[in-house]
Amino acid sequence: MPLVIKDEYPEKLFREDGKRLDGRDKYELRPIKMEVGVIPNADGSAYLEWGNNKIFAAVYGPREVHPHHLAKPDRGILRVFYRMATFSVFDRKRPAPGRREKEISMIIADCLEPVLFLELYPGTAFEVFIEVMDADGGTRCASTTVASLALADAGIPMKSLVTAVAMGKINGEIVTDLSGIEDKAGEADLPIAITWFNEKISLLQFDGDMEIEELDECLDRARVALKEIYEIQLQALKKKYIEIQEEVSGGNVKNDEH
Amino acid sequence: MMNIKRVISTIEKNYLINNLKREKRIDGRGLWDYREWKIKSDVITSAEGSADVSLGETRIITGLKYEVGEPFPDVPDEGVCTIMAELLPLASPLFERGPPDEQSIELARVVDRGIRHADCIQTKKLCIKENEAVYILFVDMYVINYSGNLIDAGGISSLVTLISSHIPEGKFEDGELQWTGRYLTGDMIVKELPIVLTFGKIDGMIFLDPSLPEELICDGRLSIAVTENKVTSIQKSGSATFSVDEIKMLSRKAIDLGAKLRKDLDLWQYKTEY
Amino acid sequence: MEFDEFNNEEEEEEEEEEELEIPPEHEIIEHDSEGIEEHDEFDEFEDEETTRDLVVPGEVLTTDTKNFIPGRGTLLTSDGSKIISLNIGLKQIKKNYINVIPLRGFYTPHPGDKVIALVVDKNPVKYKCDINAKQLAILKPKNTVKRGKMRVLKGGSDQNSLTTNKYQIGDILIAKVISADRLNKPELTTVGKYLGKKTGGIVISIDPPKIPRVIGRNGSMIKVLKRLTNCNIFITQNGRIWIKGDDIEHERLLIDAIKKIEREAHTVGLTDRITEFIENEKRKRGIK
Repeated sequence: MPLVIKDEYPEKLFREDGKRLDGRDKYELRPIKMEVGVIPNADGSAYLEWGNNKIFAAVYGPREVHPHHLAKPDRGILRVFYRMATFSVFDRKRPAPGRREKEISMIIADCLEPVLFLELYPGTAFEVFIEVMDADGGTRCASTTVASLALADAGIPMKSLVTAVAMGKINGEIVTDLSGIEDKAGEADLPIAITWFNEKISLLQFDGDMEIEELDECLDRARVALKEIYEIQLQALKKKYIEIQEEVSGGNVKNDEH
Repeated sequence: MMNIKRVISTIEKNYLINNLKREKRIDGRGLWDYREWKIKSDVITSAEGSADVSLGETRIITGLKYEVGEPFPDVPDEGVCTIMAELLPLASPLFERGPPDEQSIELARVVDRGIRHADCIQTKKLCIKENEAVYILFVDMYVINYSGNLIDAGGISSLVTLISSHIPEGKFEDGELQWTGRYLTGDMIVKELPIVLTFGKIDGMIFLDPSLPEELICDGRLSIAVTENKVTSIQKSGSATFSVDEIKMLSRKAIDLGAKLRKDLDLWQYKTEY
Repeated sequence: MEFDEFNNEEEEEEEEEEELEIPPEHEIIEHDSEGIEEHDEFDEFEDEETTRDLVVPGEVLTTDTKNFIPGRGTLLTSDGSKIISLNIGLKQIKKNYINVIPLRGFYTPHPGDKVIALVVDKNPVKYKCDINAKQLAILKPKNTVKRGKMRVLKGGSDQNSLTTNKYQIGDILIAKVISADRLNKPELTTVGKYLGKKTGGIVISIDPPKIPRVIGRNGSMIKVLKRLTNCNIFITQNGRIWIKGDDIEHERLLIDAIKKIEREAHTVGLTDRITEFIENEKRKRGIK
């Protein structure tokens, strides 16, 4: 039987004043908050709030591989498990992982692998668990972003962080950071991630229709957004330590310059 | 303490037991003290009720979703509430991926039974049209960090979730289910506040709220759910045995400690205004 | 026969008496000639050359790649234009090496390391131990008994050296890593000074990179901890610390102090602050 309130989307995704439905400008990101070290048992962990998205990421590793036959003798393996809580979406999701979650798990693993030195850890596995507690568009990008923080928090050597954002097209306009409604009702969505050490794209998908010029614009705008999000990641990683430094020195932190 | 994987060191076991004999617990608590509770409610925007509860370092996030379905034939005017639990692999190196195992099923069932028999959920209020349509509530608990005593944390997490609920009120008009614009809130759906308290037993010594090392070492546990003055469910787990006197003592302790916890937590503050 | 039995008894007695000697003031720190760079960590947190510049993976440490060489925890980018950090840690400049002292990380065993091992499994030919590394470590029975104590006669300790009766699952051992490489499981020995099974006290874990801070320059920090809490402390490379005090209150205070060191490892003036902390807490908690 249907739910009491129906899941319906308006056609007009821009308001009279030219802003998007949640009040944002075209290239504006939703409010993003990140925190590391939130799960004491994990080797590394991070939590992210991105708009209404709320996502935990935890890393365990390097550790023994189960089942054993998946272990590689000459290098470590990276496994990502992206899951959504039943109550994270409007229409309750079945508890067991579905095909979408498995696909996203694989894409995120492929995206994170380039920054790791897996050849240093033969026979072992790094496992990244991502749990989406509240979803509102762009979850695979938010998940990639928070997972990369969790890996850094674990002290695993990395060439750089990885940052992702969901670009899109709504009502004919290219926009940054699609919300849930915009994702469902818009014309195109383009999740994209970058690895900063070589400034290359490690996650890219596209659904919808776009002219070539629109695609170009989308990619250019993405870069700007990714840089903004990256700053937030850096801050989150350093925040804990800087706060402690300030706490103990009464606010006078000497920062050596080089 | 030490990184606990599957094996507890003999040293840790002895340390814990020797100190317990002197009524000292390794984290400084008394035998009948809870660890620190931290509670936030209505944290999930996609859910119709939710809670983020920490008991010491054990953390459980619970959310409520509803569906509209047919009632059970023997209770045509009552809605249904089911409770599920997942011990997420991110919560502990001890948890494995996969479908719910014994531990998560035990958690869900013990919490469920504590609530079910306590006249807690007013299932008659969850009826939209007798014989045809009722609310089916899903209370799903996700363990985010495991540090002992999931049951008590789960119990409070589920209770706060129900108290914080805001379910759109439906009515049939011309054969179609319409939203009245109002919500069913926690104070309409929840009446009694059952509290489940878990006691651990190690080498004959009994204490409240086992922390992780205590839980991994303990011979057995006894969980008792209570309302203001009634016992509503009991579950013994583990291989330890309890004497009749011990059970009587713990039942009384549960009522007292339950009342104290109810007062300390002031659970009705987590009701949302809708 | 009699002679043998007499010898057996003597052997067994010896083994029972194998009480661990209490190690001296500063603990461990045996330098392998190979691993010198690694063990230099001990001074690094309080080095002048270590900045308080916190860096994260991917952060550019310098673009002056002509004058600086990438050291520990860093990488020269493939186009040679910059040196970047691979870890979250403190930037350190030693001569013209740029290093990053990590603040987080897992333990990687090196030969010569002293570790606290937990026996998690055993079969007739070997023990498997958790040493907080990416793989379990192996302890073979022949490495649990001193050489030269083996009797060739039947019923003697010859059997002991070939079977895994000495230790049980759940035992805590102070062991030394005898071999560790990329491909094989690390191997341990419990034969040696201060090595063997521990029977009392408690073991706690901290982030392995912070262990040097608990020792301090020339053992300055561990001296303070021992003196002020009156506890025995044994610190090992794999992030584990064994402690034993007069009572649980002293032990708890020591644990709190160590956790505080772990949390503030990247700050200056830590030794003084810890001294102050312990003295204040002793007063607050009413212990001497």
